Amino acid sequence: MTGDGGSNQRGAADAAPATGDLLVALGVVGLAAVVLWQAWVIPVSPIYAKVGPTLVPIMAGLGLLVFGAALVVSALRGGWQTKDEKAITPDRLALGWVLGGLALNVLTIGPLGFTLASVLLFVCVTRGFGSRQLLRDAAIGGAFALVAYLGFAKTLNINIGAGLVENGIEWLIATVRGR
Amino acid sequence: MISRRHFVAGMAGAGALAAGLGPQAAQAQTVDLLKMFIPAAPGGGWDQTGRSIEAVLRATGAVNGVQITNVPGAGGAVGLPQFLNNWRGQGNSLMVAGMVMVGSLIANKSPLKITQTVPIARLTGEFLALAVPTASPFKDAKDFVAALKADPTKVPVAGGSAGGSDHIMLGMIAKAAGVPAARVSYVAFAGGGPAMAALLGAQVAAGVSGYGEFAEQVKAGKLRVLAISADKRQDGIDAPTLKEQGIDVELFNWRGVFAPPGVSDADRAAMVAMISKMAATPQWAEVCKQRDWTQITLAGDAYKTFLDAEVTRIEGILKDLGLA
Amino acid sequence: MDGINGLITGFGVALTPMNLLWCLVGTTLGTAIGVLPGLGPALTIALLLPITFKVEPQAAFILFAGIYYGAMYGGSTTSILLNTPGESSSIVTSMEGNKMARNGRAGAALATAAIGSFVAGTIGTLGIAFLAPVVVDWALKFGPAEYFALMILAFTTVSAVLGSSAVRGLTALFFGIWLGLIGIDLQTGQARFTFGVQELFDGINVIVVAVGLFAVGETLYNAATYKNSETKITPLKGSLLMTKLEWKRSIGPWIRGTLFGFPIGAMPAGGAEIPTFLSYYTEKKLTKYPEEFGTTGAIEGVAGPEAANNASAAGVLVPMLTLGLPTSATAAIMLSAFQSYGINPGPLLLQTQPALVWGLIASLFIGNVMLLVLNLPLIGLWVKMLQIPAPLLYAGILVFATIGTYGISQSYIDLILLYVVGIIGYLMRRYDFPTAPVIIGMILGPLAEQNFRQAMTISAGDWTVFFTRPLSLTIIVIAVSLVIVPKIYSMAKESQRRQSLAR
Repeated sequence: MTGDGGSNQRGAADAAPATGDLLVALGVVGLAAVVLWQAWVIPVSPIYAKVGPTLVPIMAGLGLLVFGAALVVSALRGGWQTKDEKAITPDRLALGWVLGGLALNVLTIGPLGFTLASVLLFVCVTRGFGSRQLLRDAAIGGAFALVAYLGFAKTLNINIGAGLVENGIEWLIATVRGR
Repeated sequence: MISRRHFVAGMAGAGALAAGLGPQAAQAQTVDLLKMFIPAAPGGGWDQTGRSIEAVLRATGAVNGVQITNVPGAGGAVGLPQFLNNWRGQGNSLMVAGMVMVGSLIANKSPLKITQTVPIARLTGEFLALAVPTASPFKDAKDFVAALKADPTKVPVAGGSAGGSDHIMLGMIAKAAGVPAARVSYVAFAGGGPAMAALLGAQVAAGVSGYGEFAEQVKAGKLRVLAISADKRQDGIDAPTLKEQGIDVELFNWRGVFAPPGVSDADRAAMVAMISKMAATPQWAEVCKQRDWTQITLAGDAYKTFLDAEVTRIEGILKDLGLA
Repeated sequence: MDGINGLITGFGVALTPMNLLWCLVGTTLGTAIGVLPGLGPALTIALLLPITFKVEPQAAFILFAGIYYGAMYGGSTTSILLNTPGESSSIVTSMEGNKMARNGRAGAALATAAIGSFVAGTIGTLGIAFLAPVVVDWALKFGPAEYFALMILAFTTVSAVLGSSAVRGLTALFFGIWLGLIGIDLQTGQARFTFGVQELFDGINVIVVAVGLFAVGETLYNAATYKNSETKITPLKGSLLMTKLEWKRSIGPWIRGTLFGFPIGAMPAGGAEIPTFLSYYTEKKLTKYPEEFGTTGAIEGVAGPEAANNASAAGVLVPMLTLGLPTSATAAIMLSAFQSYGINPGPLLLQTQPALVWGLIASLFIGNVMLLVLNLPLIGLWVKMLQIPAPLLYAGILVFATIGTYGISQSYIDLILLYVVGIIGYLMRRYDFPTAPVIIGMILGPLAEQNFRQAMTISAGDWTVFFTRPLSLTIIVIAVSLVIVPKIYSMAKESQRRQSLAR
């Protein structure tokens, strides 16, 4: 399903107005197909149950199929968006920055820890929204993330993802207390 | 009515007890940091077991510090791979799990097995009970089984999720009575509260759950326990076992601790010794009493033998239920 | 002990300086964790369970009760300000609440939420004190068939959030139902739509989806349109708190929301979300300002659902205190705290532990007052948050959503899901799909399915059970008439209009 979402979005951005609607509609139909296929392969155990595990999944798939088809028809007839809406072109660069920030966050939150990953996300998003003050944004993001991290670690004893920065601070606190 | 003073005095007493045991515990080898892995969310049975172990180990001075990691999901099936891979070979670490994990690994068709860990000790168990609303025509387990034999579809039984310990117990009863396990009318509820509500409201004919969940309802005269799944009669419980009533079923929802694979023999022996010692303390007995856990301590090799047999047994009944 | 005497005892217990302090700690902590998506009262209380080894039971339960009620308050704050619901029961609040906030009425939205929570919490707590036995008897009459009927009724409320096109709204609904079906099937233990991913076996957390669709999706959408659009946030327009008119518009919804929330919360399988849907639907139908719904934000759409979710939080305590039944995760954890004091919660709890139970109830009253006093002055501060420049605000929202999702569970799967749902949310917004039906489908779909199948198993396959049980039949009739009557009404009006035109 992840793939569907991604390709739609790229397609929509590249395509002429009514094509966007059509791609979304086809995405729904595609999802319906996957749902029906997956519902079909749900193993039905011999457990006594008057209504099995596949009935509602198949209904959900059929619902998506019916409405997806209706959307396709609507898209072929010129789409459902108004002219004004069609005229809006998304700011692809800004979107790219934010999406890049999200991807970077997923990749770095494990190895670098919560705080550093949050700084990266924060900076990418502010850049996407047009901010040019890289250092200021990084400082604000870092402070925000650190406060959140320490709040959790100290009051509830939950570790929300330690990395270099967090361990360094823990070490610092321990040394100061040790004295 | 418990007055506040009474309670404060009680707490102080418990403190004194722990303090009195201090010197004795100090003779044992002290572990600096014990890492505990709990493949369930905070608050559940395994988590409570883990945190009780922590409290007793700390109170007796057997450990200086305990670090607990919770990885919830799918009856432990999400946590187990992490424990097997990331915790490999680490001495001083323990996972808390139990029968539910055995069942969910099989039912979820996981490629992993609980026997891939190093079993340290079985600690507690809760036996299950079959209960009916007070107004029910079933007076004992024989009545229930007779109705089940006549037409299993007319006897809907409430319990937790399909394939869990409640379902396993019902399947065993059916099988012992000669009714195909998969034919019983089992109504799964999300959690003990809704299942109990369905039973109290007489929406279903009977319910299966841990005995502890029924105890207060029985005391209040709202439910009747037809049978318990223990091996013998239990003190303070006015209910016969299934075996007494000619139904050859015995089932404990047991919980225990496991070390990760790849630990040295010395580490394993040290853990077995520490946990066995803990299970023999009065503090542990007190915790178990409070929580309605039956102590069924079994450590080391004997536990391993038990575990192997248990996996085979659960797999068999889940096959009968159509879930394996 | 009757209600009045009980309450007097209870206040005697709760009003000691130490216990008041615990109450304050609890409500403050509760507000803080309620704000965070992913960290709810159940997990917080579970993490604080070791405290039961150190303090006396009254103090522990007063602390827990404060956390519980505080979380309900906190959940609404981020819903309104950041469109990031902290709890599933405050998802509906964000629909109108955030629109109000963007149009300069954040203060009024926060105020109506806080005061509504107070009103509902107080009435609900009175309900616990005086009506609990009656409500419980009635709630136990609900079996799976009745719950299924109730879900059907709740499903009709989706009509209030379909937006401009039924086809796109229903597409979103079915998408939500499908999301809700992912995971292990409760009745038969079979994995559905999990694609072999173990992390999906327990299903997808509705909070992850709500935050993804609302907060992440909106951030993406705003990033894409930021440069060209004029839709800037207005931090404040008019008075900070509520105007006279806004008070007038709030009172009805508060009361009606409470009447939905308390009884449904008291039902063992009722939950906190369904009353918020019912309240939203009702208020949208009854309002004199329908044009504000979904555009500038209608205060009724905040006041009603907020009251409903707080009243249901009180309702949940009814089966817990009268029968020892945990019907929510938080109640289950609180019951296990009882056990660590050697107290066995059950139908006799009130007889054996009156001081504890009444102390808990009294502390709910006190906690409610404290929350109101704590929250109202904070509103000015919260509203200032909307003056944060957009780049920092949106970056903050995303980091915040990440804390809630990854921070608590440390699950990559949840984090990736959050972002993927965010992308879907962006597409839905861009192509005019309403997002609220996804949430309704996701919550109601699986509930309706499970209750339907439970009822069918109990009845041995006899589907007439939904119509032969009086309660179930009544609810279904109400649901059907909700769908049909407005249609007939508008048709009648139309023909009347034609007739008068013809004349």
